[in-house]
Parts: sequence; structure tokens; C-alpha cells
Amino acid sequence: MSAVLTVDGLSVSFAGFKAVDGVSLIIEEGELRVLLGANGAGKTTLMDLISGKTKSTQGRVHLRDTDITNWEEPAIARAGIGRKFQIPSVFRELTVRRNLEVAGCGKPGVLANLRFGLPRAARRRLDEVLHLTGLSDEAQTVAGTLSHGQTQWLELGLLVMQDPKLLLLDEPTAGMTAAETLRTADIIKSLRGSHTVIVVEHDMAFVREIAQRITVMHLGQVLAEGDMASIESDPRVRAAYLGSKGIH
Amino acid sequence: MPGKRTLDYAAYAAFIGLILCAPLVLEEFWLNRIAKFLVYGLLGVAIALSWGYAGILNLGQGLFFGLGAYMMAMSLKLASPTSLQQGSATPVPDFMLWNAEPGAKTDLCCINHGSFLWTPFQNPWFGIAMGVLVPVLVATLIGWVMFRKRISGVFVSIIMLALVLLVRLVVIDAQPVTNGFNGLTDLGNLVVFGVELDPYEVVTYYVVAGALALALIATRMLVETRAGLILQAIRDDQNRARYLGFDVPLYQVFFFAVSAAIAGVAGMLYVVVAQFASPTFMDLSFSITMVVWAAVGGRASLLGACIGAIGINIIEARASETQALVQAWRAVIGLIFVLVVLYLPRGVAGFASDAADAVLSRLGRKRPPAAQSAEERVAS
Repeated sequence: MSAVLTVDGLSVSFAGFKAVDGVSLIIEEGELRVLLGANGAGKTTLMDLISGKTKSTQGRVHLRDTDITNWEEPAIARAGIGRKFQIPSVFRELTVRRNLEVAGCGKPGVLANLRFGLPRAARRRLDEVLHLTGLSDEAQTVAGTLSHGQTQWLELGLLVMQDPKLLLLDEPTAGMTAAETLRTADIIKSLRGSHTVIVVEHDMAFVREIAQRITVMHLGQVLAEGDMASIESDPRVRAAYLGSKGIH
Repeated sequence: MPGKRTLDYAAYAAFIGLILCAPLVLEEFWLNRIAKFLVYGLLGVAIALSWGYAGILNLGQGLFFGLGAYMMAMSLKLASPTSLQQGSATPVPDFMLWNAEPGAKTDLCCINHGSFLWTPFQNPWFGIAMGVLVPVLVATLIGWVMFRKRISGVFVSIIMLALVLLVRLVVIDAQPVTNGFNGLTDLGNLVVFGVELDPYEVVTYYVVAGALALALIATRMLVETRAGLILQAIRDDQNRARYLGFDVPLYQVFFFAVSAAIAGVAGMLYVVVAQFASPTFMDLSFSITMVVWAAVGGRASLLGACIGAIGINIIEARASETQALVQAWRAVIGLIFVLVVLYLPRGVAGFASDAADAVLSRLGRKRPPAAQSAEERVAS
């Protein structure tokens, strides 16, 4: 096992307020890590720092052996980090298939893309991704007309198509029905092993379903790390975040 | 059953066939007029590319049209008989004599402070090259600054709007070099490969129609490439595209420049057909009029915006010459705009596309009659 992502003492402060304060993480190859924490604990900000949306004031981020600290977003994406947003964002006026084609273009430059059709490998993968996300019947549907759940799955599909080393998923089940949540868990579980994934999630049923290792954040810092059982029994987690009633 | 795409290509083929056959039925006066309208069609294509495909509403497209027009007009001005008969070694435009520096030699090099800029334009090919290059360079430069800074939407519109007015002012102000408010008139005909492009000859019409056909096909092919697809993705969600690893500004600048090049070519052809260049090309109203043509034709469609531009101008020409409408023709045009915006938000092309969908789905429906009649019963 080797580390895909190494976060070392990462901090950012907004006008004196430390949103993320000295966070260190090591994510192993093929791991599915869940980030847990109350609102304002710094989970999304941590993802922003890793994916380049926000520039850190301290600390380093390494993707494998490459130092990607404070690179521009497209450069980080090309280095191998895919990001799914809390509010699903897809290309709303394009069909589902065209959305996936965009993600499968591979090369970033304008001139390199002055050609017709996708690379053969990407074309093969496109059908697999449609199947994986359950969108095979919607391939010709314009993305803007998809249901909320389907939009979330399409965005997941974009990431799988992009095929990054590491996927950052910010609340992939937000606003989903119970059935949709289960299906999302299935999709994410099927990524396990072949992809390295970090998921931010509130939904405990979902976390129980997918989690291997959990990192609990509190006030911008890492409070605890471990499997579900050890997190649930950790007194610090109970005191700081879950209250005395435990995880419900 | 024919697919949607086949119909789409058939529409392109039909349109191109139509404009190439027009000389068979039209007499010279209308041919020259239609040639002007085809130039406006080119502008429609340029607007559809930047507004419909790139999501950049450029309210200053007239800047690129104007630059292209002036570059061409400078060459043609030097080719006019009046300029050639000033008794100097080089042709000198008449207005430069009226704006000459006291005691200056009557020569393009030094008759006034800016006149040397005209020297290379004695070669018409230089004018033609500049007519494309200058708009492209200007677009690349502005685009680079704007899109690197992630300026988008209405702010781009305002910047371009201000810019076209600024350049218009500079052109008017630089009287000794540009003839200011009067523009460049009394132009010679463009001669390329030994062919003289007289505005009222069929050959000139064919040059314009050929350029439009070529621009339509090339632009359509361009947006069908992966780069064109990524451009549309960027239009829908810049941020998503950025996190997929695409350098968003590169795509925006590239297509912004292509749109400027098309507008530049339109400007050059307009000068060839209309035989003048004027600062009014960079009036705000003209830039906005172009956008209205594209909106009526359908900004999401290159062909739609092109037909919109040509159609509105034909209607305008017809209405303004109809006795009963002499007073009211502007109201007629205004009414068309209002109706289109209210009832056809995606323009005529959007309407045609919906109609094609309806017809195709009717043709494609293959259900047993029993099921169909059951449904009809429910419906009634």
C-alpha cells in the first residue's frame, strides 16, 4: 500500500478565523475515507484546499510524490484529483452522453481537441459509466431535465469518466431519497478498490453503509480517526460532536 | 427514417444551394443588395458562435467588423483613381491633402504624421491579411485579459460595448489618417488574381456567397469537434469544466478570436460590396442590431442566426419600400422582434428544431393501433 494523498499540517485562515487548522491526513491507494463533522468543522474547506479552490496559508499537499499545494484548479485536476460539488454541477444544456464525452476528452488543450469523436478507450468506458450510474436509458436526455438524484449520479459519472487518482465527493447524497441514497452507496462502493475516494457525508445510514475508515473533524482540526466502531466509542468524539446521546 | 442530424445538414445544404443559385433569378440591383445581406449573415454566424456556443454576449462585435472594414478600405482607397492622380510617386488619398502638414511633401510617407501607416496597404493582399489579423489580435488580447480574470456574463458585454465606442471615438478623432467622421469613400474595386470585383457584377456576389458558405461549413465543423463540445460545456458550467482539468480561458479566447475573424471578414466583404467604410460601423446601435438578428434567427444555431440576419434585412428592405408601410415599417420590424422574443425564445431555428422533433417522433411511432386508440380515448 502506498499513500495517494498526503496532507501535512494544512491550514487556512479567513481574516484571522482558522477554518482549517493544521490538518494532516494520509490516504492510501484504493481507500474509501469518510470525513465526518458538524457544520463548520472545515470538511468542505479542506476539500477546497486540496482541489485548489482555496489557497492554503500553511502546510503542504502531496498527490503521490507531486507537491500540488496551491496549484491552479485545472492543473490539480490534471494531476489526478476529481471533485464533486455539494450542489451538483453538470453541463445542463448538453445530453447525458455529451456530458460524459466532455469528461472523457482526456487532453486539456484547444488545439489537441480540434478533432472529431472520442479516443477509442474513452468510448468504451462511456458505456460502462452509463451502466454504472444507471443512466443508460437517459443517454440522450438533456442534463438540465434530469431529476436531482440522476444529476448527482451524472456528476459522479463525470468523475469516473475523468478517471482521476483521487475522487473528492462532497455530500454525494445531499437531498436524495432513501432509495436514491442506497443506489449512490452502491455506485461509490463499486469504485472502492479501483479508485481512491474521500467522501464528506452527514447521512449516518449512508456512512455506515460505505465507511471503512472515518476521520472526524471538529473546529478545523482532526479529532479522531478509525473505523466506525472505534469512532462511535471515542469519548472525545462523543463529547465534542455527538453530544452525550451518541450517533443516532 | 432520417435522423435529426441528417435534417440539420440538409438545411445547410439547401441554404447554401439557395444562395449559390440566387444569381439565376435576381437582377444586378437586388444581387448587390442580397450580397450585403449575406455579409450580415456572416455577422450572424459570428454572433451565434460567441453567444450561442461560448455563452459570451459580445455587444461590441462591430469593433471587429469595423476593423476588418477599415483595413480593406485603406487598400481600396489607395487603388481609387483619385488617389492615383495626385501627381506623386505613391497614391495619396484626397483627404490627406486637406489634412496635410504645412509644407509637407505630397507622398504617402510623410504628408502628415500618421500617413506612413498607409504605405504597406498599397498591396491589397496586405489589406486583406490585416483585415483578419487585426481583429484576431485585438480579440486575443482583450479576451486574454478578460477571461484570465474570469470576467464573464454582463461584464464582458459592458467591456466590449465600451471598447467599441472608444475605438469609434479614436477613429473619428484621428482625422488625418482615417478621414474621421466622413469615413473612407470613393474607393477603387478590389482586384484579386486579375479579377476585378465590381460590386454590381455576379462574380462579386459569388465571392460573398462563397465566403458565407465556407464560413458556415467551417464553423459548423469547428463546433462539432471535441474542442467545440468543451466550449459548450464551459458555457454551461465554467467551474465544472475547470475541475475536469480544462484551461477555460484558452477555449474562450480561441473561439472569441475565431468569432472576431469571421466579423473581420464580414467587414472586408462589406467594403467590397458597399464601397465605403465609416465609423458608423462601430456605432452601438449596429452592434446591438447584430445581436437582435441572431436572437430572432436563433442564437444556438449558426445557420439560424445567419438566416435571421438575412431574413430581417430582406423584410426591412421590402417593408421600407412598400407604399402603405413607408411610415410604419419600423413598427413592423419592432413587432416581429417582440413576437419572436415572446413566443419563440430560441428564435426561428429553435422553432424549426421543435417542429422537426415533432415530425420525427410521429414518423418513428410504431405502436399497435389498439394501444394508440386506447390512448386517444383517454385523451378525449
